[in-house]
Amino acid sequence: MANATHGTGYRLYWITWIFLLMVTMVMLAMEYVSWPQWMLLTVLLVAMLVKASVISGYFMHLRFERPALIVIVAASLVLVGLVLFVLLAIDAIRVHQLSAV
Amino acid sequence: MSEAAATHNDLTAHRDLTAPPGTATDQVESSPAGVSWQKLMMWIFIVSDGLLFAGLLCGYGFVRIASPIWPDRGEIFHLPMIGFMTFLLISSSATMASAVAAAGRADRGATVRFLLFTILGGLGFMGMQAYEWSSLIQEGARLDSNPWGVPAFSGAFFLITGFHGSHVLSGIVLLAITAWRMAAGKSTAAGIELAGLYWHFVDLVWVFIFTLFYLI
Repeated sequence: MANATHGTGYRLYWITWIFLLMVTMVMLAMEYVSWPQWMLLTVLLVAMLVKASVISGYFMHLRFERPALIVIVAASLVLVGLVLFVLLAIDAIRVHQLSAV
Repeated sequence: MSEAAATHNDLTAHRDLTAPPGTATDQVESSPAGVSWQKLMMWIFIVSDGLLFAGLLCGYGFVRIASPIWPDRGEIFHLPMIGFMTFLLISSSATMASAVAAAGRADRGATVRFLLFTILGGLGFMGMQAYEWSSLIQEGARLDSNPWGVPAFSGAFFLITGFHGSHVLSGIVLLAITAWRMAAGKSTAAGIELAGLYWHFVDLVWVFIFTLFYLI
């Protein structure tokens, strides 16, 4: 039984690896398509978040940990990171508009 | 003889009473997050280190949005090489995860082999980053100036990739020590897992730098 679970453990990592490489290829391919900028931005940011959650979820085993640990990590990083960026971005946009005038 | 055995038993009993609650096996589950304290502390370190990069990337985002113009990164960066560096780092993360799995089933040879592959991936990444840095410096990029019009561009570039590169370097040193200890039979599966968490974190940060700096 122990061998069986470890066998699927290896397989899970190789599947994760191939998935991450495929998402990376898609992101690099965005360089060669001429979509409107908001579409490119959306695809790239979503792909980035998908990659980040796959790495933390499967390579770092976060998906299989207790909710308490997931909340500690996600709350501090996602919330603080987002709040910091949103607060700064409002100011940055204002500076941009001022310098454009 | 029996007296000595009794004394020994008393000593063990005494030690059990004064030890903190829980035996060695209980301690694995004793932190509030349901993981060992070592692992919880590693996660807290990763979160605080991640906030350092969040701060750096948010600062870069501010400069980027506020700046009226931004250099055409497609003309400055060599994207196929950056793509290959990303491939190396993702692959080294996969071999690291495999090393953790191999250590979990006490396969010391496979663990050391996977760790060496991981170190090779990290060294390849660092070598290519050194090449990228030196060619950009040759083109005139400095911390406070560059030929592309926006001084903050190269400042943010060297600061962010430099901080990440130093994390890769620390990771390689950590993995080399871990591999050496593992080969000597001194490391445990839990130790490999902690080193692995750090290495995946280095890969995780690169996902953000790769997207936000090189692709957007």
